[in-house]
Amino acid sequence: MKYFYWGIAAAVVLTVLAVLFVPGVDQWVEQTVLRNVGRAAR
Amino acid sequence: MKIVKEVIIVVFCLLLIPAAAFLTTAAKQRLADGPSLVFSGGPLEAGALHAGAEPDWSVVSAVPTIELQLLDPPRSRRIWTAEYEGKLYVWSGYMSTAVGRLWKHWPIQAARDGRAVIRIDGVRYERQLIRIQSGDVLDGITAAITSKYPSQTTRAAVEEGDAWLFEAAPRK
Repeated sequence: MKYFYWGIAAAVVLTVLAVLFVPGVDQWVEQTVLRNVGRAAR
Repeated sequence: MKIVKEVIIVVFCLLLIPAAAFLTTAAKQRLADGPSLVFSGGPLEAGALHAGAEPDWSVVSAVPTIELQLLDPPRSRRIWTAEYEGKLYVWSGYMSTAVGRLWKHWPIQAARDGRAVIRIDGVRYERQLIRIQSGDVLDGITAAITSKYPSQTTRAAVEEGDAWLFEAAPRK
């Protein structure tokens, strides 16, 4: 489990950095939220 | 029992990744000039500030949403709007529900301090949000709303406080 926790921590940090600094990632997150909210509303 | 506990921990840890993406995107948008479709944004800064005569608000019939920013707190969101008899209106539904109270803070903040800026097609307008809770004018406004949007906003909903309706009047 120890390696799993380290992997999750690394994935969370990479996710935060990607949203902050990689162009288009924030739009992708928003589109994903919109898609899922729309599906839930239907 | 141990395996169940480990499965719960693994699922929780995996959910941290999309949660981090969601929260970071929301935080990033707070620093941006204006809102996105989902997340509220920072103050409206770009665009010319309208000066002069009151515009012909009938143009908003072709505008699905506008950007609305309160001065206090200086945060912006994207909302529906409608025009009726030359005046501009914004509103918020679900205000009498627990979810609405948790989700929608701007109407309460606007009732406290109605100074606002709206941005339509890249032009900013200084406005004063004035809450309307009663009167025959509600029939016309709610008809304008329901003819533009698939909305359940009715005169009764406004009078009962389920929908909070504001006129976006010119700021003196």
